Amino acid sequence: MKENSSGSAKAAVAQTAKWLVLLFFLAVAILPFLWLLVNSFRTNLELESSPFGWPKTLSLGNYRNAIVTADLIQLFVNSVIASVGSVALNLLVAAMASFVLSREHFRGRDLIHSIITAGVLIPIISFMVPYFMIITRTGLYDKLASLIFVYAAINLPISVALITTFMKAIPKELEEASIIDGCGFNQRFFKIVLPLSRSGMATAGTFCFVYAWNEFVMAMLFTSSTSSRTIQLGIKYFSSQFITDYTGMFAAIILSMIPSVAAYIFLHDKIISGLTAGAVKG
Amino acid sequence: MKKKQRANPWIVVYLAPITILFLVFFLFPLVFNAYTSLMRWTGSGTMKWNNFANYVRLLTDDTFFLSIRNNLIWALSQGFVQISFAALVALILARNPRGWKFLRTVYFLPNVISTVAIASVWVALYNPEYGPINAIIKLFGGTPRNWLGDTSTALFAIIAMTVIYIGYFMIIILASIMNIPKELYEAAQIDGASKVQQELLITIPMIRGTLVTAVTLAMAYGMRHFDTTYLMTGGGPAYATNTIGIALYQKMDALRYGDASAAGMILIALGAVVVSLIRAAMGKNDPMTESAQ
Repeated sequence: MKENSSGSAKAAVAQTAKWLVLLFFLAVAILPFLWLLVNSFRTNLELESSPFGWPKTLSLGNYRNAIVTADLIQLFVNSVIASVGSVALNLLVAAMASFVLSREHFRGRDLIHSIITAGVLIPIISFMVPYFMIITRTGLYDKLASLIFVYAAINLPISVALITTFMKAIPKELEEASIIDGCGFNQRFFKIVLPLSRSGMATAGTFCFVYAWNEFVMAMLFTSSTSSRTIQLGIKYFSSQFITDYTGMFAAIILSMIPSVAAYIFLHDKIISGLTAGAVKG
Repeated sequence: MKKKQRANPWIVVYLAPITILFLVFFLFPLVFNAYTSLMRWTGSGTMKWNNFANYVRLLTDDTFFLSIRNNLIWALSQGFVQISFAALVALILARNPRGWKFLRTVYFLPNVISTVAIASVWVALYNPEYGPINAIIKLFGGTPRNWLGDTSTALFAIIAMTVIYIGYFMIIILASIMNIPKELYEAAQIDGASKVQQELLITIPMIRGTLVTAVTLAMAYGMRHFDTTYLMTGGGPAYATNTIGIALYQKMDALRYGDASAAGMILIALGAVVVSLIRAAMGKNDPMTESAQ
């Protein structure tokens, strides 16, 4: 072992470089949002005089403006309905399909699984025209149901991929025992397999929720009135309607971020292990 | 177990909902797009076959070509710049430095924040009047710019703020590194391999499959890019940041539905070409099944 001074100098440089890289990506991940948070408490005048600085008074005026002028509560409720509705529909449909695709044997099973999961490779934005036609022709235009169906459907490939992985890992013996005990097909699904694949469902559900909560392109195409507008669209319109009220818009953005950031803070272990499980398999 | 058993009728029942949704939202749109891309159609009224005029019009249009070029720039920067950043950070975090779990969690945080929020924040950061980026540049004696309003900087400015959000791919690459058997490194150490040699000769080859998948996926996402650009510049100034997705939206907005469908087909085809090319170039790996995970 020769640890001479040039070796330790090199190690020190490597250490510094390593931490510079880590801190750079840490900074870009959080500083923009901290800047937004701080400025959501400042006035537009303060912001225009300098982009940096603390609020002179801690006033919630921007938040009140955002909630009142953007009708934020209605938008919030709409987003909750669209997100929760699509997660429920997506998980039910995906879990039923995953159950037979992972635990039953029949011809064409693997082909069906491949076709469904290959759906991830399709650029959904290329479907703007057909989706618009489907939604208007079925009378779902400007109804939250349109978003529930579209969000649930778009997330089926990823949900099926995640949930089948989890369901395949459940030991066969448990199910065989239940068959001996006289459990039918439905009971096996609802009483044995579904409860045992909870964490897979939670991961898939979180993905679908975050997608649905954050989506805006389909929401922009399929809704037009405030009664069915989601919070993402609300912010987008807020920024074009109230072009000069920057700090009010910042407050609206902060409020819109709360649900998905809160979900992430509580579920980050599950989300990361969900991503990790897939990578390990590959 | 009897091998020759009749298929359980419940299987059909359990597959019915996904079949319906998949037919309506994946297969029908594909067929519909292909069909209407060959038609003269304004969204209402009758469709009329027009001898590939939609494709000809798009492919001879300079602004559409600009969109294709921008899409390729998007795909390459996401596939190579973003993945390089993600791999670099993953390599560092895999050696478990102090606080690596916390860092991993924070790096992924922007991935759960909406595009609308992120785009709005960056529009504010790039703002020529009150934006902090110009303020910092002025502090160091540089010349402030109208980053998003200038045709020479707009595309770069948008891409730059997307390639630094590495969370998703970093976590996947990190998981793959941590899955490498420790014995390999122990053996290399006994043989006298340095830390750098270990990364180059063990880690990189062992995670090659994951890297290929990550590059493929990131390029596919780059090809279908729409939202951030739509929100930040709407494709402007002067189409400098237009992508195929945005062109599609513009055609639809102008009630040129046939053109929009043709743009959609070109997007799907180019995406498939880019994915096949990158797989052929980097060795085969099945992103079809892996990407779905």
